Amino acid sequence: MTRISRSSAKSLALHATLFVVLGFWMLPLVYMVSVGLRSPSQAFDPVLFAWPVTFANFITVIRDNPLTGIFLNSLIITVATVITVVSVSALFAFACSVLRLRGSLVIYATLLTTLMVPLASLVLPLAILLKTFGWVNTYWGLIFPYSALGVPFAIVILKAFMDDSPKELFDAARVDGCSSWQTFWHVALPLVRPALVFVAIWQFIVTWNEFFLALIVLTRAEMKTLTIVPMQYSGLYMANPGALFAILTLIALPLIFLYVLVQRAFVRGLLAGAVKG
Amino acid sequence: MATLQIDNIIKRFGTVTVIPELSLTVKDREFCVLVGPSGCGKSTLLRIIAGLEAINAGRLLVDGRDVSALAPPERGIAMVFQSYALYPHMDVNRNMGFGLEISRTPRNEIVSRVARAAESLHLGKFLRRRPRELSGGQRQRVAIGRAITRKPTLFLLDEPLSNLDAALRVNMRVEIARLKEELNSTMIYVTHDQVEAMTLADRIVVMNEGRIEQVGAPLELYEQPGNRFVAGFLGSPAMNFLSGTVAQVADGAARVDLTAGTSVMIPLAGRVETGQFVELGIRPEHIKLNEDDDGVPVSGRAAIVEMLGSDTFVHVRLGDETIVVRDSHGRRIGKGLDVDLRLPVEACYLFDQTGLRVSRLNGLAEAA
Amino acid sequence: MSETAQLPRRSHSVARLTNFAFVLPAVVLFVVFIAYPILWVAQNSLLSAGSEGGTRYAGLTHYIDILSNPTFWTVVRNMFLWGVITIPVQMVIGGVLAYCIERHTRAWRGFFRTAFFLPVVTSVSVVSLVWVQIYAPYYGIAQEYLKHIGITLTYSPIGDPKTAIYALIIVNIWQWTGFSMLMYIAGIANMPPEVLDAARVDGARGWRLAVHVIIPMLAPSTKSLLMLGVIGTLQTFPIVHLMTGGGPNCASEVFGTFIFKQSFILGDTGSGAALSVLVLMIALVLSVLQIVFLGTQQSSAKGRSA
Repeated sequence: MTRISRSSAKSLALHATLFVVLGFWMLPLVYMVSVGLRSPSQAFDPVLFAWPVTFANFITVIRDNPLTGIFLNSLIITVATVITVVSVSALFAFACSVLRLRGSLVIYATLLTTLMVPLASLVLPLAILLKTFGWVNTYWGLIFPYSALGVPFAIVILKAFMDDSPKELFDAARVDGCSSWQTFWHVALPLVRPALVFVAIWQFIVTWNEFFLALIVLTRAEMKTLTIVPMQYSGLYMANPGALFAILTLIALPLIFLYVLVQRAFVRGLLAGAVKG
Repeated sequence: MATLQIDNIIKRFGTVTVIPELSLTVKDREFCVLVGPSGCGKSTLLRIIAGLEAINAGRLLVDGRDVSALAPPERGIAMVFQSYALYPHMDVNRNMGFGLEISRTPRNEIVSRVARAAESLHLGKFLRRRPRELSGGQRQRVAIGRAITRKPTLFLLDEPLSNLDAALRVNMRVEIARLKEELNSTMIYVTHDQVEAMTLADRIVVMNEGRIEQVGAPLELYEQPGNRFVAGFLGSPAMNFLSGTVAQVADGAARVDLTAGTSVMIPLAGRVETGQFVELGIRPEHIKLNEDDDGVPVSGRAAIVEMLGSDTFVHVRLGDETIVVRDSHGRRIGKGLDVDLRLPVEACYLFDQTGLRVSRLNGLAEAA
Repeated sequence: MSETAQLPRRSHSVARLTNFAFVLPAVVLFVVFIAYPILWVAQNSLLSAGSEGGTRYAGLTHYIDILSNPTFWTVVRNMFLWGVITIPVQMVIGGVLAYCIERHTRAWRGFFRTAFFLPVVTSVSVVSLVWVQIYAPYYGIAQEYLKHIGITLTYSPIGDPKTAIYALIIVNIWQWTGFSMLMYIAGIANMPPEVLDAARVDGARGWRLAVHVIIPMLAPSTKSLLMLGVIGTLQTFPIVHLMTGGGPNCASEVFGTFIFKQSFILGDTGSGAALSVLVLMIALVLSVLQIVFLGTQQSSAKGRSA
């Protein structure tokens, strides 16, 4: 009896501690929402919560700003990048791991080295390259560089999964008469599904939140993405933090919602060994 | 229905030669078992036949047609894999019909073939299940079913029973024997289990280090092993070998002095010379424990006694050597006791130092 | 290799073309958007704008300029501080959280996993602006609440050259700790339970279990986090750009902002390129060091079992 009650007391204490830590951890986000819900007169109060709450800021910023267009820019660039990264890297991982094409391992090793290349060092040449292509202020100007930078990591994960798949399944596919393409589509892709989901979600988060290249490539207002617009609003709403924070909340929400929806699949992919450790 | 002719094939992995020049013909509707210790090249040979491994030289002919350059499905083969290799994301139904789906067989044809295979393998209830929802034995049957639906001319099985537990293995062995009668196709079956080889095969191919040691019907190999390897590989417990030297050769027979301390006269088929090192082979079940029986007497000490109920295996120390005696008479032999054995000359084989059998066909085989 | 054997396939030339298609997209992306830019910066770091819009060979001038620029050394110091503080602190907090959540919660496990990860998915520009407000003098909540525990901030920590970089590091740690937590959760969840049972049979409990069994078994997670932390450090840009712009007086400058200023604000392509090359070389040296000291595990990803 004492043992059970002691362990449940311990568990209670641990949960309580976790909740307290989480409470502190969430302060910046809570504060963000809280300031967004204030009237202009309270906006500068140095307190976490202020009463009463008002949705006026949200209504104003939604009415005054083309947030839908900006949201769509982010969505188009991100979705296209995710699709490109997942398909390109799945194809390559398959060539490496299952088809074992001559030379593919050498290319794989080369791609691995780019895992360590910081985007910061590529921004300048990419900017000039995209200018040459006439891709400044276009979706392509971000989709392709993002894909190129995302592919190596995705390949590493997908290749590890394919390497771990039972080899006899691919033999069975050949006995069943599958071409390389059919083996890829009917056998390899379904086998590594958790990894594909993981890679897609991760690439989505990274692309949606990328800032540096977007800042340089997207200069026209109607092309801008959600990540780079807060800057201009911070100038616009300098005197009205309530409105600024309302808009920041609106910008942060889509990805938070999306993550909450897919987190189960994301963690499942991670636990299945997408990133072992 | 097909005759398979393997013609001087060579297989190398990089610089390692796995199969140095091998030829074999498997007759139409024959159940041919490739058997040998692990790493002997039997699975590689099967994968070559399937078209999963390329060959470095030689040809493969099915019914006289050269298939060496053809892809697996074009060879008319089907294969059952050791790990079953069922597609985990497809249900049983689609797993069994997938090959037909890829070859664009009409839908209704696929349905009827899968239904027939499922019925014959008692899988009707499981068609909608995924492989992970099946037991090992059921997965095994799906793997076989998948092969059957293709109506193969050549049916290849790669150690299909090795992942099953002992009881199921016996059941599936019976099942495969039944299938062999039903299917009427040429079957090539790889195993390292000699019981499977003996019970299922029309013909056994014993392989070792990429070479064929001997080909023949199960009992033929058991009773007339061509060399020491085959003699030692088939039979459980394995054949006993006693070292000795040839003391005298006369009248087509050799007198062999065993290291264990006796002399035996063995009728010869091959050549041996006086003073040559030889090994005498005798199966555990042929050694008599009864002093009244005929045969060459040897005596030793019972070192280990294994009682299985029906049989008793007695490991007898003869000097530095140990031989196993199988007794089916329910005798109780105490550990550590001195035992007198009789080695019936007609059950003895003689192998020279290269392992080749030099004794004449033994009496047991001739009588049969 | 004189291996001439061909795997049997339908038609060799067709098969080869199809196979080519599997590799080609990745190669094209790599060559155009990674390899070419790297070669481009390498070349342009040696060039200067010449007369009449042309370029002329400038030798190592740009490198010498950069290396003799005191801001460069501030950047190096800041990047060093950034990596040395961020990476271990995130590992410790993330690891402790992961351990508590994974081994001691059940019903609330999914909730905690998700909640602590939310800062990672919050747009970095939103995070930066919110923290600017938190740090703000007079109306920011940081100084207001820290007052109660005896810490007085006379002005915004990001406005003081001495504290700016640390204030930014705190924001970065806050944003990315959830990621470390999730990586350790994956490591803990994948630990074979038999090993933990065996350790318990051996009498290892509590602290000893953690130090002698769990932490060593999480080495793969730790190595991956170290590698990702190093890349993340060298990538650092948005937090600094948005919160301090590298200031005050270049005190919080990092590689990202420095490259941005040299290349796009000053328009000095040559020294921007030289700086990019230096960053690439640092990344190369650090990855070689990691491979040498931590074994050949080249990446964060590893198979589930050998």
